This record gives sequence, C-alpha cells and structure tokens, in this order.
Amino acid sequence: MKKFLFVVLALMLTLSVFAAGDKEAAAAGPQKITIWAWDPNFNIAIMEEAKARYQAINPDVQFEIVDMAKADVEQKLLINLSSGVTDGLPDIVLIEDYNAEKYLSSYPDSFADLTGSFDYSQFAPYKVKLMTVGGKTYGVPFDTGVAGTYYRKDILEAAGFRASDMENITWDRFIEIGEAVFAKTGVSMCAFDPTDGGLVRVMLHSAGSWYFDKNGKPFLAGNPVMEAAVATYAKLINSPGTMKTSGWAEWVGAINSGKAATISTGVWITGSVKAEATQSGKWALAPIPRLNVPGAVNASNLGGSSWYVLNSSKAKATAIDFLKQIYAKDNDFYQKILVDRGAVGSFLPSQGGSAYMVADPFFGGQKVFQNFSAYMQKIPSVEFGSYTYEADSAIASVLPSIYAGGSVADALKAAQAQLENAIK
Amino acid sequence: MKTIRQSGLVRHHSTAGFHRSTGWMFVSFALILVGVFSIYPVISSFLLSFQTGRGAVYHFNGLGNIQRLLKDTVFLQALKNTFVYFIFQVPIMIILALTIASVLNNPKLKFRGFFRIAIFLPCVTSLVAYSVLFKSMFALDGLVNRMLLAINVVAEPIPWLLDPFWAKVLIIIALTWRWTGYNMMFYLSAMQNISPSYYEAARIDGANAFQQFRYITVPLLKPVILFTSVMSTIGTLQLFDESMNITGGGPANATITISHYIYNVLFRFTPNFGYAATISYVIVFLVAILAFVQFKLTGDDHAA
Repeated sequence: MKKFLFVVLALMLTLSVFAAGDKEAAAAGPQKITIWAWDPNFNIAIMEEAKARYQAINPDVQFEIVDMAKADVEQKLLINLSSGVTDGLPDIVLIEDYNAEKYLSSYPDSFADLTGSFDYSQFAPYKVKLMTVGGKTYGVPFDTGVAGTYYRKDILEAAGFRASDMENITWDRFIEIGEAVFAKTGVSMCAFDPTDGGLVRVMLHSAGSWYFDKNGKPFLAGNPVMEAAVATYAKLINSPGTMKTSGWAEWVGAINSGKAATISTGVWITGSVKAEATQSGKWALAPIPRLNVPGAVNASNLGGSSWYVLNSSKAKATAIDFLKQIYAKDNDFYQKILVDRGAVGSFLPSQGGSAYMVADPFFGGQKVFQNFSAYMQKIPSVEFGSYTYEADSAIASVLPSIYAGGSVADALKAAQAQLENAIK
Repeated sequence: MKTIRQSGLVRHHSTAGFHRSTGWMFVSFALILVGVFSIYPVISSFLLSFQTGRGAVYHFNGLGNIQRLLKDTVFLQALKNTFVYFIFQVPIMIILALTIASVLNNPKLKFRGFFRIAIFLPCVTSLVAYSVLFKSMFALDGLVNRMLLAINVVAEPIPWLLDPFWAKVLIIIALTWRWTGYNMMFYLSAMQNISPSYYEAARIDGANAFQQFRYITVPLLKPVILFTSVMSTIGTLQLFDESMNITGGGPANATITISHYIYNVLFRFTPNFGYAATISYVIVFLVAILAFVQFKLTGDDHAA
C-alpha cells in the first residue's frame, strides 16, 4: 500500500511539471499589436496619439504599448533575436537610426520588407537611406534629430552680439564668441560632457563624413574631417567659455539654471529648453555652426529613430496598415505631435502644415520649426554602418589624450586600431 | 536484510548491485539537470569561443578570437582595471573586516548588536540602487564634494567621475563599503569559536592587544580568511554592477571591468557571441589560477 501511494505521488509530481507549461491558445478574436519604445514623454506619448487615431478608423484593433529605457529595448530585442524564439518579440519596435544597420544585417529575415508598402519619396532621403539594405527598405522613418543652436538673446546682446552674428558661422568663430561672452558676462557660452562624443558625430555628419568610408572600413586615421572634428571638439572643451558637465541632468540643468547661454544639439532638446518658464521670450534659434573644412554645411543630425515591423508578427498586415494610415498619411497627426511634443517628423508633406508655421513666444516669435525644416533639407546623406557604438567607444577612449594636448593624428591611429579590432 | 526478503525481484541481484543501481536511479534525475544546464553550456560555450560573427550569422574562426584578444586594447585595459581592484580592494577590505570583527568581538562593548547590523546592512542593499546613489553622491556638486569643501579638506571639488584615477578610487570605496560587513560576519562567527583562555594566557604573558590579534586571532582564522579571500577574488574578477552603474566604464575606459566589456560586446556593440565566450573563458582561467595560488599559500603553512 505504501509503495503504491509512493508511485502515485511520484507520478503526480512528474506530470505536474508538464502541466505548468501550458500556453493559452492564440486568440482568434481582435488583433493585438505590441509596440516597444522608450521615453514616455516623447515616443510613447506620440504612439498613444497614433493609436487613438487608428482606433477611430479601425476599432477592432488592440494595442499594447510597452515603455522601457532605450538600452533595455535594444538589449531585449537583441536577446530575443539571438535566441531564435519569436514568441517574445513585439510587432513594432522603435530603433535608433545609428543602430538600424546593425540589426538589419545581423538578423536578416527578422524584419519585414516594406519596400512595396510605402512611398519612400515622401520621407526625408537621409532617413530612407539608412534603413535600406540590399535594395530593400525596412522601416518607417519617424523623428529627425535635425540639429540647431538655441541661444539666449539677452546674454549674447549683453556681450555685444546680434542675431546675425550667430548665423552660418564656423565652430572656430563660435568658440571666439564664447570666450567673449564668458569674459563680459560671466556666463558660459555652452555646456558639454568631455566623455560624450555626440558633438563629434554632429560635426562629422555636417561635413558629409562618418566614422566609416564608402566601403564600410573604419575611416578615423587619415580622415581630414575626422581630424578637424576631434581637434575642434577638444578646442571647444578646453575653451574657458565652455562649462564641463557630466550626464544628462547636469547638461540640461546648465541651460535651465542660466549657467550656459547656448545649447547645440538635436531638435528633441526643445522640450527641455522650454522647461524653464521664466526664460520665455529670451531664447532664439540659429543654425548649427559648421566645421572649417570644404563641403561642410550648417546642418546636421543627432539621434532620430524609426519604427520597424518584425517578420514574426502575427498581426503584420494590420501593423503595416496602422503605420501607413498614421505615419505615412495623417498630416494632422504630425502637426499635433509637433505642437505637443516638439517632434519633427521626416514625413515631407507634413512640413507645410500649420504647426510648422507657429510663431513660438518662448523663442521671441521665431518660427523655429520652419527653420528646422529648412535645415533638415540640407542634412548630408551619410551611411551610418553597423558599428556606430564601437566607433563612439573608440573615439571616447582617445579624447582625454587630445584634451591634454596630445597629437590628434596619433590618437586617431590608436582609435582606428581599436575600432578595427572591435569589428572583426 | 528486510528488503531482499520483501520483494521477489531483488532476490536475483546482489545487495551491492541493488544499492548501486537504486543509487544511480535517484541521482540520475539531478545529474541530467546538471548535465543539461551546467555541463552542456560549459562545453558549448567553449566551442563557441572558437567562432566569430555578427548576431545569428557566425562561422568557425580557430584561434582567431584569441589573437584578437591579445591585441584588443579595451580588453587589456579592462584586465588592468580588474587587477587594480583586486590588488588594492581585496586586502584593504579583508584587513578592515578583520579589525572591525576583532573590535566587535569584545564582550564589554555596548550596542554591539546595532554596530553589527549597521555594518552588515550594505550587503543586503540592491546593487543597482546603491550604485545609482553613489553616482549622485559623488557627482561634481554632490554630497561628498560639498562635505569635503565645507570641512576644508580640499580646495576644489574632486572630479570623482571625470578623472581616471579618482574614478577607480570611487569604485574601490564603493566595493569596500558594500562587502566589508559580509566578510566581517564570517570572521566574527569564527572568532566566537576561539576560546577566551588563549587571550587570557597571552594577557598574563604581557602581550598587548595588537600582538594578541596578530599571533592568536589571525592564525586561528586562517581557513576562514582563505575562504573569504577566494570568494572576494572571484567576486572582484566578475565585477559588473559597479562599473556599469556608477561610472559606466569610466572616463575613457578607466574603470571598465572584464564582465562589463563582455556585456558591451554582446549588447551594446554588434553582438559577437564567439568573441564574448572567449573573453569569459579568460575570467574562468584567472579565477582558477588565483584560487589555486591562494590555496597553495595557506595550505603550505598548515603542512609546516
């Protein structure tokens, strides 16, 4: 009897292991689209707006918008793609443009080919180029990181500079103005993080160059644009007019607290600039300064991302239709997200819309988004390749030696060696 | 033997054979689990360390990964950093923990319970939570700098996070703060086992507190000290959270650890699983060598 009970107990325990793994059968009911993105005040909020608009057209579709930190989205996506298990993947995912090629070439066949589904001539060309691999285009371009310089009119006027002094200048001139402003008013011209090479990317891009040449080989050493960019950035960091900060909060805090008079970065900083209401009416926008090399323009990009559809998605057709109806058609949507979130989309027909003509009192009545649209048309087309983060890391590791006055050429040779090693 | 007579089946087997096969049957389930989840990954990752590629697309590479490793400046920097932590932090922490344990072992000390809890508490805090707190405390205008300026120890704020040297010091401080209590607990419980008569005899012979500590406490704690130092070594070699959350790898890779570099290769850069496996085997060998050395160092003393 005891033996029988023991056998039954053992059997029950063994079978319960299998019972635990039961999955729900796929619902045959309404379609559900899962979306992964970051930044609740920007991307997530914008997606919620898009979802509301699409559900007005198509009420049967359910959405699950998941918010995580950017690094977490990238990591989770990588893990799921590497494991080969498609259950945990979303239907739509937001990927930053610098990373796009990394995913598209490491995991071919994981992303849906959208070449036939969208009219890509309606999107900014530089965005379309970076999501095209092997002649096929994979994503829906979303926001642009078109760059500009926001500056405090009042502080610059106190130092004797007018708006025209900030238009179409080189970085060398910017540094000169910075030192004069700091000497006369005691306010730093700008704030930058010495360990963050983001501005180097901005400078490279504005001259139509990148970390890699046309063949995808590392192009750090012997690249005159790279040398100019790194040398200029070092000069900027070492200038007395520049305040050194560490991390996002300190960087934004510098302009909010009035310790820095300008900020040169992507348009997504607009929300943070406007966060300090007491400074309303004192800010204005100028084009980003350019590098002192032939072919450089006063336009560049920092950041920006796009939406991608996973091939494994069970609601793929619905997801593509959703993106098409809202992101590739709804001009009113783009006006709303511009006004609410400061999101400058790359959908060209939307840029003639009313919101782009708004004269913002915060910027003294300047129609800043018209300026940004104009800059965006001039951004050179550059192919980012798959290894932007590795290149960033290589440059960041040699920047300190350049700040200390070391040879730029030698530092870039070391960075090139590190980068070549990293991409084997 | 009751078992043999009860069941007719076993009559045909010898006692030893029966026990052996039943034993194996019981063990087999656990053995299969260990085999699948521990041994198979070890072998598989060893094979993976000879391959390279991006993401899901990879190919055999022979010794190429090892050649790449030897020329990899970031890896060599990470190795250097890890050794700096190991050489400075582990001895400081062990000596500190021994001293504190010795002090707290004194039965005449008031509020001993409170002190023990207070020193042990850092170990149970979340790694990420304390790292983020340390990061904000040691910022250029953070709490620590303001305190140091207020009591005039320094003339201008120390760039904890921006300077390669100070960033390493910060990591060592963070590690010591966190793990001293843990090691202290081991020493404390071992010290409870030392008979007070030894100390009495030493006192009668005229030994002062320091001599008692050096000639009685430390030799009797040798096994525990060996245990904690091996554990600390392994922990330091696998360091990740502090490097990731406090300094993010440090100004220009000044504080990056080997584990953090593996994370970068897998999740920040274009994923290369083969190369990451190669780097992780370096950690395995280092841990094995260092543990062996430490055993030898104390093992020989025992023999003598």
